[in-house]
Parts: sequence; structure tokens; C-alpha cells
Amino acid sequence: MIEIKGLAKAFAISKGNKLSDTEKQDVRYSEKAFHSVRDVSFTCGNGEVLGLLGPNGAGKTTTLRMLSTALKQDSGSVFINDIDVLQKPIQARKEIGFLSADTGLYGKLTAFENIAYFARLHGMKEAAIKSRIEELFTMLDMHDFANRRVDTMSTGMKQKTAIARAVVHSPKVVILDEPTTGLDIMTVQTVLDFIKSLKAQGTPVIFSTHHLDEVGALCDRVVVIDKGVSSFSGSLAEFKQLTPDGDLRQAFLAVIANQPQQGAA
Amino acid sequence: MWQVYFKELTELLRDKKTLIFVILLPILIFPVLFGIVGLVMATTTSKAMEEQHRYVIINEQQAPEFAEALFYHKNFKKVETTLNSEQELIAAIRNEEFDVALVIPADFARRKDAVEQTEWQLIYNRSSQLDFMYNYFDEMLKEYTETLQRGTLSQLGVDPANLTAILKPVELTRVNTAEQRENIGESMGAILAYALVLLCLSGAMYPAVDMGAGEKERGTLETLLICPVSRTAIVLGKFLTVLTTALMTALITVVSLGVWGAIISAFADLSKVSEALASITIVDLMLMFSLLLPTAAIFAALLLAISIYARTFKEAQNYMSPLTILVIVPLMIAMAPGMELDVTTALIPLTNIALAIKELLKGTADYGLLALIFASTTALAGALIAFCVHWFQQEKVLFR
Repeated sequence: MIEIKGLAKAFAISKGNKLSDTEKQDVRYSEKAFHSVRDVSFTCGNGEVLGLLGPNGAGKTTTLRMLSTALKQDSGSVFINDIDVLQKPIQARKEIGFLSADTGLYGKLTAFENIAYFARLHGMKEAAIKSRIEELFTMLDMHDFANRRVDTMSTGMKQKTAIARAVVHSPKVVILDEPTTGLDIMTVQTVLDFIKSLKAQGTPVIFSTHHLDEVGALCDRVVVIDKGVSSFSGSLAEFKQLTPDGDLRQAFLAVIANQPQQGAA
Repeated sequence: MWQVYFKELTELLRDKKTLIFVILLPILIFPVLFGIVGLVMATTTSKAMEEQHRYVIINEQQAPEFAEALFYHKNFKKVETTLNSEQELIAAIRNEEFDVALVIPADFARRKDAVEQTEWQLIYNRSSQLDFMYNYFDEMLKEYTETLQRGTLSQLGVDPANLTAILKPVELTRVNTAEQRENIGESMGAILAYALVLLCLSGAMYPAVDMGAGEKERGTLETLLICPVSRTAIVLGKFLTVLTTALMTALITVVSLGVWGAIISAFADLSKVSEALASITIVDLMLMFSLLLPTAAIFAALLLAISIYARTFKEAQNYMSPLTILVIVPLMIAMAPGMELDVTTALIPLTNIALAIKELLKGTADYGLLALIFASTTALAGALIAFCVHWFQQEKVLFR
């Protein structure tokens, strides 16, 4: 279970940086800070898949970084299975499997070495690491490149390795930041099948994406973030009801259009 | 921490750049450096020694014996000229009509007979690094003047057997109280310390860039930060890796120097050097290593902090370039003539290490001062490590 309430995060603007006219009109900019995330709230229950949507630069990645404990929020709360990530970040990290937009792999290590390294950092024993990696290699069809160095792999191979790395410790919660971007159709299908298998196991999954067809096929819940605010949070059915014909693209555009675009900066 | 350390070390050992900077460069730097310098010096010297200079001699009838000696010298070839003023001779040399002009005064013979001192002029271009010209003339003049002196003394009725005692009644001889090791330590110590400290820096530089800015650029840092490991453990694991490579570079250099030194000694007569080096004990070497350890820790912490701050590999390299100059300056100070290790210099970072290594090589180290250097350098290293750990906790640094 993931619970996020009133999440906000601002980044200081360097003294030398002058705001452009467009930035001055943007509600997220103040004189000294860029308020990347202003007010984001949503929940994702066990066995649910939540699609996080939003235009580029809307605050999705910052939200996911706060969820994963990479960043600390300025205000608001994040609970992962009732663990406050701000109070107990190390404990929360044990519960989370996170896949960043970059694959986050070490080029000079093999697929096996990359996954095993992160398993060790999660405190897993050597015997458990071997059997778990074997299980993941079979699940993601990775045996052919298990001992190949990452810097010689194709994009699809890297993404499979990154997914295996993210879930090697059998996390209770999985967060995926644009997991299908730049992948071929076969690899996208592998990723989507993997998300389905997590859902079947009762694991809550949050994934950010720009592909609305993936949202329609997988998600139980949808959250739209725009200008740092969760402007929609509800079930897939509720999201579809935003437009008469249930078209996801039109629903998304309707949410963005209703969001106040300019504010008193 | 150790998981991070061993993983970083594995990655570095698979990296060609690391292998070049940490292992290959220290092994080959001395033979290549000495080889190139030796070859260039030998070629230049040999060329300069074989070179034949075109000369003119003005008023040669005043000193026919000297003119004859010069004529038969293998490095000189006579050129006839009608010029005789200084300006004309200089202009001719600049126009490369000949290389050197010797001007003997027109009244030399008369003044010689009157036992008066005269001045001869040697005009030539002195810009060459290897100035053999003056040496050739100086050597020939010594013989010529000795002949003249003997003749003059005979005319004055002095027994030529007493010539040496009359010309130089007192001969000053030097008795050196310094041992061979002290002499070699004095001349080699500062250079060795300079090389060791700079190699520690260069050995730390590339891994530090790779482990901070490199991780940011490749997008692996974020993945690492969300593992259930404290950021202190992560940064200490990285710090220890950089420290290891820095020390490995210095260690490989010392071993390489020893091996190549032994090879050269086998072919050349360097028994005095070998004896001097043999007198350096294991304790001395361990003390040198114990001084290099906190020095390498200073570099590792500083470079890692810079690297963590930088957004990209290139940005990190740009920040690190001025650091090399900051390191060279205190090392140069240690190489300055008259610089000695005392309580004041023992507190100047890096200068103190260079001076201490020199003293250890000479065998004249003051152990109290060594303890002071170790304590002050370790304190500085500890402060920088603490800063590096603090730095690594800052979001504004990690997510710039």
C-alpha cells in the first residue's frame, strides 16, 4: 500500500539565473525557488497498478524520487506499507523496487554481477541471490546474456537487466519511471507482462508513462500531474468518464486544459 | 561499505584508462622518462662534441703557438677574414659567415714580455644549451698560459720545478662528513617525493571522477541512493576505492623504480648508489608509506567531493585541473635550496611530506617531527573525509 498526501518539493534557483518571461508566468517559479511538486496526493492499494501521467516537466520524476527516498519532501507525507519514508528511509527502501528512467546499470559489470551487487546491498545471502537471479532470468528470458557485460548489450537487454535489478530483493512495492520508453515491441511486451505478474502477486505498482494504451491495458488507477499538482486521481473508469466516448487521450487533454496554467508567481 | 568498495574496484580493474593510469604509467614512466631524457642528452651532446666550428683569429702573429694549437684542434676550422673591428665580427657571426672569432690584442707579444696582463676576446653565439666553445678555448688557454708562465718564471730566475707552488700556494681540499646515503638522499629525495605525491594525485583523479560525476552521468547514482545502505557507507566505500588506487599507483611506482634501478645498476657501475639505497631500511620505507597514506586520503576525499558536486565527467575534470597546480606549488617549495624540515615546515601541507621523505632517504629524519607531520596530515585528511561524507548527504549537490 502506498499513500501520498500533500507532497511538495522546491529547488533553489541559483543567484545568477534570471527567470525568462515564460518562467515568470509559470505558477511554479518564485524569486528564489522552483516548486517542482506543489501538492500531490494519491493512494495505490495492494494488487493495484497506478499509471502516473503528465506532460514533460510536470513533476512526475520528482514525485517518484520522493517516493523512492532519493529526495526528501519539503512537506506532505509518503507512507510505504505504513512506513514513513522521511522517518525511516532505510526501512522503506527495503520495501521498494525502483526502476529509474535511466537503466541505472554499471556498464563494465555483467547482467549477473549488476543484479547480484544490488541484491547484496539489500542484505541478501549468496545462496538466496543465486536462486532469485535464476528465477528472474527464467521469468525475463535473460539466460542468453546473463554473463555479458552491460556496455555490449542492446537496449532491450539492458532494460530487462534493469527490471531484474529493481526487483531482485522481492520488493513489496514497485515503482517504474517510464519503463517502456525507447524499447522495441517485444521488450515492451515483456515489461508489460512483468507488471501484470506483479499485480497478480498483489504487489502495488506505480509507473509513469506517456503511452495511454499501456494505461488502458494495465492500470486500475490513474493520476495526472500537471505543474506539480495532482489534478486528477481516481480509477481508470472514472478517468474514462471525463469524456463522453471514454477516449484516454481526450480525457488526459481535458484534465490538463482544466488546470490553471498561469498563477501569481 | 565493503560491497561498494569491491564492486568499484572490480569495475575499475576492467577499465582500460584505470589500467593505464594506475598500473602501466607508473611501471613505464621512469624507464621511458629516463630513456628519452638520456637519449636526447646523449644525441645532443654527441652532436655538439662532433661539431666543427668555423673560426677567425685576429692578430694571430701575436700568439703563433696558440694559433697553431687551434689550427690542429679537431673541432675547429680556420676561415680567413679581413675584418677586425668587434662590430664587424659580431655582424659576420650573425650572418653565419663563421661561428667564432678570437681577438688577440695587437700588442700582446710586447705586453707579455713586459709581464703585463692582457685580455683576449672570444666572440660567439652563446644561446646554445651546450656551450662547449668556451670549454675548448679555456682548455687550450690553460696549456698555453702554463707554457708562458714557465717561460716568464725562467726569465725571472725562478726554478720551474717550483712553478705549481708559486702559482697556487694553497690548495683547498674538501673532506665530506656526509655519508653516501645522505648525499644521494639530498639530491634524489625531493624529486622522489615530488613524483610520489603527484602520482598519488594522478592515481586518485580518474577513479574519483568516475565514481562521482561518472555515476551521475550514467544515471547509476540514483539507483544506488535508494538501496537500504546509508549514504555514509556508500561514500566511504567510494573513498576507500579511490584511496586504494592512489596508493597502488605510488606503490607500483616505487617498486618500478627499484626494479629499473636494479636493472640499470647491473649494466652500469653504480655500486655507491646501490650501497646507499641498501642502507634504507624497511622501517624507513614503512614510515614513507605511513606518510603517503594520509596524503593519499586527502587527495581521495578532496577529489571525490569535487566529483560528487560536478554534473558531468567533463565538469569534474575542469574543476580538478587547478588542483594539480595547488599541489605542485608546496612540492616545489620543498625542492627549493635551503629548505629544511623544522616545526614550521612540518605544518605546511605537502611541503612537510616532501621534506620528510627527503629526510628519511637521507637517514637524518627527526622522529618527533615525523610524528607531528603524520598527526597534522591525518587530522586534515579526517576533516576532508568528514566534509566529503557531509557533502554526499546534500540533495543540492547530488541532484544539481
